[in-house]
Amino acid sequence: MARLEAKKPPLFIGEPLTKDTVSQSLSLLSGIFKSCYGPAGRLKQLHNGGGGCVCTTSQSSALFSCLSVSHPVLRVLTASVQNHISRFSDCGLFTAILCCNLIEHFKSLNVASCTVIKISNHILSLCMDYLKSEACACRVAVDFSSIETLLCLVRSILKSKPACMLNKPEVDHLTALILKAFMFTVPCHVETNAVLGKCVIVPVKGRRVVDSTVLPGLLIEAPEIQLAKPITVKRTCSDMIKTALFCMSMSGDLCNSEGGVITVPQGICLEMSELNQLLNIGKQLVDAEVGLVVCQKVIHPSLKQYLQENQVMAVDRAGLSLMEPLSRMTGSNPIASIHSLSPSCYGSLKDVRIENFASKHFVHLIPNDPVVCSLILCNRNETAWDELKRACETAEHVLQLTIKEPLALLGGGCTETHLASYIRHKTCNLSTSSFKDMDCSRTQYQLVADGFCRSLESVACSLSHDGGETLTDMVYGHCWFVPSGFPSVSNWSDLVSKCGCGINGSAENLNWRLLQGQFGSPIILGCPIDPPVKVADFLALDCFAAKCSGLQVAVETANLILDLSCVIVDQN
Amino acid sequence: MGLEQEERSDMHHRSCLLPMAFKDVNARRHIGLQQLSSLAGAGRTLLGPIKSCKFIVDESTNQSTLICSAVRLIESLDLSSAAGQILNETIQAQNKEFKTGMSTLLFLVGAWSDAVLECLQQNVPVSAIVSVMSEGLNSCCEKVRCLQMSVHDVNKELCSSRVRPHAFKSKTCQIGCDSLLNPQIFLDFQKEISAPEEIFPINSCSHQDEDCNFDKHLVSPLVGFGSIAPRVKPAGDKSMSLIAGSGVITSSCNKKKLTHSRYFSTLGKSHFSSQQRDFQGYLSGQSAEPCECYGLGHLAMALSYGNQTSMKLLQSIVAYQQERAERRGSSQFNIAEVVTCCLLGLPESYSCVSPGFVTLVSPEQATVIKYFEDKPLRILLMDGDLTEQYRHLGFSRPCNVRTILEHPGLQEDRAGDLWLRNMLGILKSFEVNLVLVKGNVCENLLEGCIANSILVIGSVARDVLCAFREVTGAQPVTYLTQLKASCLGSGAQVELWKASDGRAMDLGELVPVRVKVQGISLLTAVLTSTVASKMQLIEDQFWTFVYRLHHALNDGKVFLGGGAVELLCLSHIQMLGDEPLQPPNKNAVRDFHNPWLAASVSEYKSVVLQALARGWKQYLSVLMCNTAKAASELEACTSIEHHLQKAADCGSPSAYILKEFRRGDLFSSGSSPFTDHTEVLKVYDNVTAKTEAWRRALDLVLLVLQTDAEIITGPKRNQLLNSHGSSEFMFL
Repeated sequence: MARLEAKKPPLFIGEPLTKDTVSQSLSLLSGIFKSCYGPAGRLKQLHNGGGGCVCTTSQSSALFSCLSVSHPVLRVLTASVQNHISRFSDCGLFTAILCCNLIEHFKSLNVASCTVIKISNHILSLCMDYLKSEACACRVAVDFSSIETLLCLVRSILKSKPACMLNKPEVDHLTALILKAFMFTVPCHVETNAVLGKCVIVPVKGRRVVDSTVLPGLLIEAPEIQLAKPITVKRTCSDMIKTALFCMSMSGDLCNSEGGVITVPQGICLEMSELNQLLNIGKQLVDAEVGLVVCQKVIHPSLKQYLQENQVMAVDRAGLSLMEPLSRMTGSNPIASIHSLSPSCYGSLKDVRIENFASKHFVHLIPNDPVVCSLILCNRNETAWDELKRACETAEHVLQLTIKEPLALLGGGCTETHLASYIRHKTCNLSTSSFKDMDCSRTQYQLVADGFCRSLESVACSLSHDGGETLTDMVYGHCWFVPSGFPSVSNWSDLVSKCGCGINGSAENLNWRLLQGQFGSPIILGCPIDPPVKVADFLALDCFAAKCSGLQVAVETANLILDLSCVIVDQN
Repeated sequence: MGLEQEERSDMHHRSCLLPMAFKDVNARRHIGLQQLSSLAGAGRTLLGPIKSCKFIVDESTNQSTLICSAVRLIESLDLSSAAGQILNETIQAQNKEFKTGMSTLLFLVGAWSDAVLECLQQNVPVSAIVSVMSEGLNSCCEKVRCLQMSVHDVNKELCSSRVRPHAFKSKTCQIGCDSLLNPQIFLDFQKEISAPEEIFPINSCSHQDEDCNFDKHLVSPLVGFGSIAPRVKPAGDKSMSLIAGSGVITSSCNKKKLTHSRYFSTLGKSHFSSQQRDFQGYLSGQSAEPCECYGLGHLAMALSYGNQTSMKLLQSIVAYQQERAERRGSSQFNIAEVVTCCLLGLPESYSCVSPGFVTLVSPEQATVIKYFEDKPLRILLMDGDLTEQYRHLGFSRPCNVRTILEHPGLQEDRAGDLWLRNMLGILKSFEVNLVLVKGNVCENLLEGCIANSILVIGSVARDVLCAFREVTGAQPVTYLTQLKASCLGSGAQVELWKASDGRAMDLGELVPVRVKVQGISLLTAVLTSTVASKMQLIEDQFWTFVYRLHHALNDGKVFLGGGAVELLCLSHIQMLGDEPLQPPNKNAVRDFHNPWLAASVSEYKSVVLQALARGWKQYLSVLMCNTAKAASELEACTSIEHHLQKAADCGSPSAYILKEFRRGDLFSSGSSPFTDHTEVLKVYDNVTAKTEAWRRALDLVLLVLQTDAEIITGPKRNQLLNSHGSSEFMFL
């Protein structure tokens, strides 16, 4: 008996931002992000509560992939940040914190949200213009002919992930390795369309971080290799190893058997006929003088045996993720069916070796032109290894973004405070016509601009987690940290040593002021200037592209959320 | 006891998505650290060479397990909390990598958790704790390098100290090492080389003081030299070393530790000495270079203090492998060539090392062996299961194939019988005698093979297959249908494994057999015990010792043991704390994790360094209590303070510690009855395993310290939402 159920009416939530539950959840979420931020950030244990594996992390990529928020307003926020992370890997927490700060500050203003949006978009364009201009004092050019700045960039990323549990020598070791791995992926001979290669991370958990290393080419784990008879691989006349790459299963099972019943008379063994076809391929490979067969899936033991008897090395279970770099490295086309075997499919390799690393056995494929490399990544335990892997992937991605746009921004909160100083300075001298264009009064503009600047400065403040003070100076607009427990009247120059990014020392009196809690008299600032030295040894740097995008995403998402007037929930 | 602890830690409320509240309420008594501390507390008595075993009782099933190591303890506990999970992960990682140092790790996790909790009580900022502690540990690891000794030097020293009491230096020294050889091994060599069948296996362990009265007469200090010498005389000049060897036996009978008397009495065996001339050629090879030959035996002993049986086995392995290494130029000590076989029902003294592969088979299978006699067997290695249904990994079985019979009646057999006949046919046609299978074996096939005098052994480890592949030339196959003549190996021999005194193996359902091939590198350590619950314990301990030696050789160096390293750490921390605070705006900044932390760090430095020191101080004092070197922790602490003071007064703490170590056991109390002896037992520790255990312990504590919230995801979240405890949680 069919029964029809009446559809439930959609739920209508007006002015969602004014609801208590939303603002509570938003402040909770913002609290989580802030507490994770920076090198001294607090970690979160992500787990299923039932004895599953525990992920200890402070990275946005891990946090966002498991956060399931229920409210639609929050989902807008997490979705845009997640999208940013998938495109840039870095600056996810910056984006999320800034977005939360902006919403919080703008919400408390007594200004119509459409006006706020117009003004904040204007300020955003001021920021972007400044960041992209030569005059920008908070960015440094990245010189790819020297490694100093690149090392700083990578080191800053590693240092800002405390759950990796690295000490100083380990950070230095990995920084160098990541850079080396990246250099491998840059092709030697650049044509018009240069494509970067790939760095594949090979997990070796349980080892010391300093045991990590980078090898050109690819490593395929082959646990059974020690049982096989060692063979000398057949080589072509040019001393290369002809390579065939299969993405089909060679295990000898019936691959296309979805639906339908196959009826066979007794005495005919399907397995045998499949195997015979495979052995036939094997014969063709041997005839074509192939020296190495790599299969994404499994190779039938009999085929392996046949190949090995004919001095062909067979490596199976390479996995999907290795297929693209394998094909790139060997120059071979993956063979997808037994019928598509042709001489044009084969590629070549310089050498094949067996490597043992920490009780694991690997086949090491060495190419002629190493645009593909393997980073053997070690860390002491599972959770720290996972975190380190994410950090390495981020660093790799950041280097790729940086080679496209060879710029970096000062880290350690300095870009945020500097940008805030710049906006404060810039908006003081704005012409009246600009306000007219935006349909707002000067006061309204000042209010929004102040909220914007405070939001930025508050991101910088989130770097400090032990209750100290955060300062900014009036000369460079950089960010400075003072440990807790000192009276705020003390002479700041005695307490601060270096600014957040490490470019400025406290040699002169820079006229510091506290970042938090200064309501009242607005401070008139000169335009913040370039620091005297451009590159110090241990600069904290951020990825230019990622931070710019983060700034835009944060402002635009905050604007979108402010603009929400109602939420309609389909309850069916 | 462990379970109780676990329950208690479960009672701490867990929080999820509660960062702000966590900060306010729990920052000073961090729940994660408390959980770590209570879990680690259960492992206190597992520290050091003298461990107290524990029974873990599961109250729901009333089952109990006997455990004596941190790994087994952790395995037996139900660790559902996040901190417990990470602790388990950390212990397992150390176990996987080193097989030693887990108790140290567990203990330090507890001690440092407590110490860090105390720092939090004193309002030390988390970042200061993290940077000072990790920098402090780094600095200590650098400092203790001066207590490392190269394996080579240790060998030399151990060998020479062994003979110090006697005049015949060079010769005795060499034999001191030789005598470590297990006679069982000697005999096995001999069989391998010259195969005289009349040799009667001798159980080396029967020389234990309790049950070797007969030998005692022969090897008594005064008689030993004279009485044995004539027997060996015919062997010629080279046998001088053997006489000297008995000299060592006599001297070491009075030694401080009974541990050693066992080894030195082994060679003095009367049945044995008559055979010794057969080894002459083999021994003479080494007689030219004193002290180097079996030095590893001494090293093994110095690393595996405490357990005689395992130590003895290890030394046998070392002797065998070194001899092989010298002949072939392969590596000195290879753990991949060692397997264990546990025999329940024999006294522990029957433990020994047998070249080849010893394993248990059913009595029916054992009957096959008598048909083999001594003829060399054709051997087949299989790297999968030997069943009809087995397919190689990655093969997916077609589910929609229907077979139709066109000529019913012609095939009467069921499909299974056909397979069985085919497989037996293949085995018979290739005249296979022995099949080693990595996985399971079909029962029916097993029976068929017995009927055809083919011995099939299942569940054989990969390393074992490798060893047989290497020496017999057999090439492992996955299916019997793949078999070609070239895949078969030859020259294997199978015999019933006999206890060294020929005692019948009445072990119940299974019979030990030994598969061997001339020149095989594989050794089986046969571990025996009459107590079922101790078996696991014995095996674990054996592997720990094997790995300790392995790591020592890998590192190429060892630490001075017996608390020397920890003591130096303590004195080094004292020094670090006394250093004047560096001005915050100088280059000190660079050394710290975060530049702006420098000022904060220098303020809390001494408090945090004290916390770091507490870990080692407690470690030493518990160690002293466990080994009965101190009656109470207070007494132990006093002794440690005393040493620290003297080390500080001395000017160079490392020199002081080195001197004390050379003089004798650092923390031995004056009451030891053996202190008047010039020779003392020196113990050494692994370098990497120890420092890694420290590092992992501290990393774990700091990781948990820096964690301020748990985020629970998945279906559990909804359960929590509806549970009464939901007020502890915040939901998004």
